Amino acid sequence: MRGPGPAEPAERLIVGVDIGNSTTEACLASIGPEGAVSYLGTDLTRTTGVKGTPDNTPGALTAIRGALARAGRSAGEVRTVLLNEATPVISGLAMETITETIITESTMIGHNPTTPGGEGLGVGTTRSIAELGEQEPGEPVVCVVPHGWDFDDAAATINAAVQRGVAVVAAILAGDDAVLITNRLARAVPVVDEVAAVEKVPLGMLAAVEVAAPGRTIRTLSNSYGLATVFGLDPAQTRQVSPVARALTGNRSAVVVRTPSGDVTDRRIPVGELVLRGAGKTLRVDVDAGAEAIMDVVGRAQPLDDAHGEPGTHVGGMLAQVRDTMADVMDLPGQPAVPVSEIAIRDVLAVDTFVPADVRGGLAGEVALENAVALAAMVSTSRSRMQLVADLVSEGLGAAAEIGGVEGEMAVSGALTTPGVDRPVAVLDLGGGSTDAALLTREGECTAVHVAGAGELVTKLIDSELALGDREVAESVKWFPLAKVESFFHIRHEDGTVQFFDEPLPPHVYARVVVLTPDGPAPVGTRHGLDHVRRVRREAKRRVFVVNALRALRQVAPGGNLRALEFVVLLGGSALDFEIPDMIADALAPHGIVCGTGNVLGTEGPRNAVAAGLVRTYAAGPMRAAPGPAT
Amino acid sequence: MTSTAPRTGTAPRQSLRTEILEARPVNLDGFVEEWPEKGLVAMESAFDPAPSVRVEDGQIVELDGKTRDEFDFMDTFIANHAIDVASAERCTAMPSAEIARMLMDPRASRDEVLAVTRGLTPAKILDVVKLMNVVEIMQGMQKMRARRTPANQGHSTSARDNPVQVAADAAEGALRGFAELETTLGVLRYAPLVAIALQVGAQVGRGGVLTQCALEEATELELGMRGITAYAETISIYGTESVFIDGDDTPWSKAFLASAYASRGIKMRFTSGTGSEVQMGNAEGKSMLYLEIRCILMAKGAGVQGLQNGSISCIGVPGAVPGGLRAVAAENLVASMVDLECASGNDQSFSHSAMRRTARAMPQLLPGTDFVCSGYSSVPNADNMFAGSNFDTEDFDDWNTIQRDFQVDGGLRHVREDEILQARDKAARALQAVFAHLDLPPITDDEVAAATYANSSNDYPFRDVLSDLKGAQSVMDREITGLDLVKGLEAAGFHDVAENLLTVLRQRVSGDLLQTSAVLTADFTPLSAINDPNDYAGPGTGYRLEGERWEQLKKLRHVTSSTNPETEVG
Amino acid sequence: MTTPTATSTLPGRTVSLREIGPARRGTREDEVVVAVSPAFAGHFSKTIVDVPHAEVLRQLLAGIEEQGVTARVVRFRDTADLAALAHMGAKLSGSGICVGILSRGTTIIHQKDLPRLSNLELFPQSPLLDAAVFRMIGSNAAQYAKGESPQPVPTRNDQMARPRWQAKAALLHLKEFECIEAGRGPVDVELVFESSNAG
Repeated sequence: MRGPGPAEPAERLIVGVDIGNSTTEACLASIGPEGAVSYLGTDLTRTTGVKGTPDNTPGALTAIRGALARAGRSAGEVRTVLLNEATPVISGLAMETITETIITESTMIGHNPTTPGGEGLGVGTTRSIAELGEQEPGEPVVCVVPHGWDFDDAAATINAAVQRGVAVVAAILAGDDAVLITNRLARAVPVVDEVAAVEKVPLGMLAAVEVAAPGRTIRTLSNSYGLATVFGLDPAQTRQVSPVARALTGNRSAVVVRTPSGDVTDRRIPVGELVLRGAGKTLRVDVDAGAEAIMDVVGRAQPLDDAHGEPGTHVGGMLAQVRDTMADVMDLPGQPAVPVSEIAIRDVLAVDTFVPADVRGGLAGEVALENAVALAAMVSTSRSRMQLVADLVSEGLGAAAEIGGVEGEMAVSGALTTPGVDRPVAVLDLGGGSTDAALLTREGECTAVHVAGAGELVTKLIDSELALGDREVAESVKWFPLAKVESFFHIRHEDGTVQFFDEPLPPHVYARVVVLTPDGPAPVGTRHGLDHVRRVRREAKRRVFVVNALRALRQVAPGGNLRALEFVVLLGGSALDFEIPDMIADALAPHGIVCGTGNVLGTEGPRNAVAAGLVRTYAAGPMRAAPGPAT
Repeated sequence: MTSTAPRTGTAPRQSLRTEILEARPVNLDGFVEEWPEKGLVAMESAFDPAPSVRVEDGQIVELDGKTRDEFDFMDTFIANHAIDVASAERCTAMPSAEIARMLMDPRASRDEVLAVTRGLTPAKILDVVKLMNVVEIMQGMQKMRARRTPANQGHSTSARDNPVQVAADAAEGALRGFAELETTLGVLRYAPLVAIALQVGAQVGRGGVLTQCALEEATELELGMRGITAYAETISIYGTESVFIDGDDTPWSKAFLASAYASRGIKMRFTSGTGSEVQMGNAEGKSMLYLEIRCILMAKGAGVQGLQNGSISCIGVPGAVPGGLRAVAAENLVASMVDLECASGNDQSFSHSAMRRTARAMPQLLPGTDFVCSGYSSVPNADNMFAGSNFDTEDFDDWNTIQRDFQVDGGLRHVREDEILQARDKAARALQAVFAHLDLPPITDDEVAAATYANSSNDYPFRDVLSDLKGAQSVMDREITGLDLVKGLEAAGFHDVAENLLTVLRQRVSGDLLQTSAVLTADFTPLSAINDPNDYAGPGTGYRLEGERWEQLKKLRHVTSSTNPETEVG
Repeated sequence: MTTPTATSTLPGRTVSLREIGPARRGTREDEVVVAVSPAFAGHFSKTIVDVPHAEVLRQLLAGIEEQGVTARVVRFRDTADLAALAHMGAKLSGSGICVGILSRGTTIIHQKDLPRLSNLELFPQSPLLDAAVFRMIGSNAAQYAKGESPQPVPTRNDQMARPRWQAKAALLHLKEFECIEAGRGPVDVELVFESSNAG
């Protein structure tokens, strides 16, 4: 198209554009006559629409114009825009609770109220406080106080009974009154309070109430032989009550009622099968078998062709939904619908987790940590609309646009601009929905994989394990270090160091565990201490990112051997995390791998690798490095 | 929770009639005795100052019994900026009865009255309106209202801050006739999305409806400057220096804020009302109406075109003292008689009694004001994030019937169900398109369907609040403006809505909405005290509900046809 | 909201506050100060919704006691500004935590290092505060004193509180201001409960 005339300009301006799941990045460079690259500017913006679809165009244009503006260049000077070949990746998350704790016949109360009263063990027959007046002196009594009783009245009633010779040895209360009543009793006894469903405590039954001193835990009711001693049980009966003892371990207070067939059971909830197809096999696994069993089957079905879940379960619904979303995304007006056969679940990650859940049959809102399995799945398709995006970008910018290379290869190429990196190099792109790996061998061969599970799964694990019920808070727990606000003027960081402030901290963070966001400390709504929150956060990251890093790298490593890798460069949003890169590096260190967060072009950190890779590849291309004379 | 029976216990036996009366909702309202020494009195207090004014060297040196060295900053501001120095001594010396008669007398034109009122001191104005009973006050309002054509304002909010709901309800509200729509938030960070929804919904319902989002002052101004909202109203002022200072404000700081709006061509008005000072315990022993008149003159002195008053959020205080609603009617009249736009209250939960709620609005509805309600809840009161209004969606048909009964224009009309459904559907779809264009959290087709037929926020699918809040933040970070909304609407094929919004935005260039009492008609003609001045001059003059508008207001949900009584018209 | 309120079935109590001397800075770290306004349990005997002041104090103190923390009641005489008396109360409190309360029932939890106009928890809607809420407020104040992070006491809202209570609240506010005795410092008080209909 260029006619004869003045010689080719000495430099050609090109823009590499990487459309990712959440961000779109641009890299502007000029290529000299000998193929020498000088980088002029980069830009980053939110991806518009689902990656790999025409909706990406506005975001791509924004990023291109941003990079041009930073370099003081105009769109008219651009020779070519290079886009990455990217296929849409859609991921989904689901969680199934697979165990359930059930208390039958109200056999125990183990909610561990914060302020029980008195100390020691009291064993007697349960009697309502309303009937205490008619109680004959003699047999020891555990007094049950329902809702609506004032603490002064209850204490007076118990004192009056004791005065008459009734042996009140313990009390169980509906309200939060244990200390108040104990303080008013002529003779102190152990008192357990805040039993919401106190009316369900069976009356006329032998019961034991135990309260330990502050800072200590109960010794008798959490010990099977202690229970046997208290209730005079034979060995068979002792075997039967041992789950009760286990359930009460670690409590400061507890009540056990001896009922004919009372029990505490831990039941598994069947949640259906996961059907995995791959490697010429169709394998089935029960989701309630746990993460280890599921991942074992996933491993045997590699490479995975597709997966299905049982309809009506969370997992089944989630798998169907990611498939449908992909079908919607690929649906273009005026074109034949995408066959569902082309939309397949390509990877599944199962993680064991736990969710705090109300105990069935509990009288006092007891909560048990139930086992659960979290599942991440990923679907990709071979169809890409990137050429359409290129056409639209070309139209919008008034410059040529083309597909410059495949995402994985370009990422590796860009990662190679990190100082200190050489082939063979693998990149790990730590994203939101998927973790991607690509390997460039010494010989220049490139392989790439996507595996399911990344930042969003970490957020979900943190949210459910801490029972936050607030994704925004969970997200900030993931991103920012923790601290405890110890006064209005100082906080203790999670590493134990203390920081002082001149201005008082805001009242809503007072005495709370906080995350240190750039906008200041934000409270984490949990009763757990800082250490617990930290442990949950780090475990969630380890179970997703460290596990996935190893899984993905094994898939690209020659022969699945991690020792064959030399350099691993971490890229993507989660590579900016304050601890994930260190956790992955620690996990890879035993394999003799150099691992660190990328620094693309020596300036961009883990950002802009694909865009920079597009530019490098273009400059190195044999047809382009030395353009022939115009003809 | 507080709706317990007011009086219980082992009282002596009551008559059956007393039992019925005790159970009447009006007895759930609170009533108190006056205490004039503390300012707990509507408008008749021996502790209010006597009017006086003295001018020296072109400066007011004495105002209502205080010399300049005794002035507080309200006195100073009013003396320096609100009273016409040239006519002050002459006008204040006129007999109050004569001024009161001028307010009522159809033969005294509005302009003739204004020539007098601009020279009056606060105590003099109080002295004048104290002579007037409520019918006389209404007669004065009929003439002194700045805009000839009355109008109404609506609240469009959501208990869940759901933008889809706000858009659909705004469209319905606009269609029913509200000239202005106002929103606010439960979760403040939602503001950008809800303000966008209000703007888009309103322009679907009827092009030219003005919208605002009540927020903390800086954010409210920013949304206005970006053209996401079209006017502002919740800039509160108070009648005593101590209450002003408690809010870290002065008349000058409020005037500065007003000029910030004016500099961008954005309509705005202040807010004040009887009872706020005594509610905060700082009435300085003055009656509620006297302090409110100081507010009105302060607003006048600051140069704003209008005021929202009528006790507003303190209505429970004047509502509980004798003559309280007469004082509330009088404060609306005073705003109008000093040539300010008056958005006249009726906008907060006022009474348990339906009869009292209706009666409370008559002094504004019958003579007509610039905005009879400021505003009427165009969502169910449970969704009203202004803590509930005196009227809500359940009262629409009653309101329309009262307009028809008395042949008065309260700004609303009956609209056929099919038109409403169409507008609600279109508003939700337009917002869906705008959100998609701006890459905000998507609105599903299910939400659109829900919006079409919904009554309250409970009838909508839950939205992903976290994504919405991130989206709301991105609206601010990306510096999205009203023009981006126009582009999104145009790109999605909502050409008419885009055109409506663009035309509203253009008004800030012409500045026409800065004129007193300005609203936009359906053909985008600014209607204000300049081009639609109130020309009431007695029977048969001024605004009359007649012609096409009267035909509109004759329609109700069920009216039996006179040609075929077996059918209904409508 | 049908949970029965655990109010004593014993004959109604009244309380009088016997002044026992000027209030000084507390030294016990396990102490919460309950700061009451000039007319509390004096000129007035119940809140805006007729909760007896005796019951208000009994429940506040019970909430504190249940947490194993001690309470000291201090009467302020020269101010009826809730933020001011609670903030000064917090400065007198050994733990730095204070519950401030006005006669009509409006309540605040304050801490000594906060700006006066800030707070840990504020309960501005006095008509919605009943005995159970006062118990929870006492409990939370004590938990703050122990350095724990209690869940804030749930606050309620009622749109119809305005027509019913707004004017009475203003009146009670004005009356309370009448009871201010300028220049008289805060005093420690002893609670003397009495059955109102003894016999």
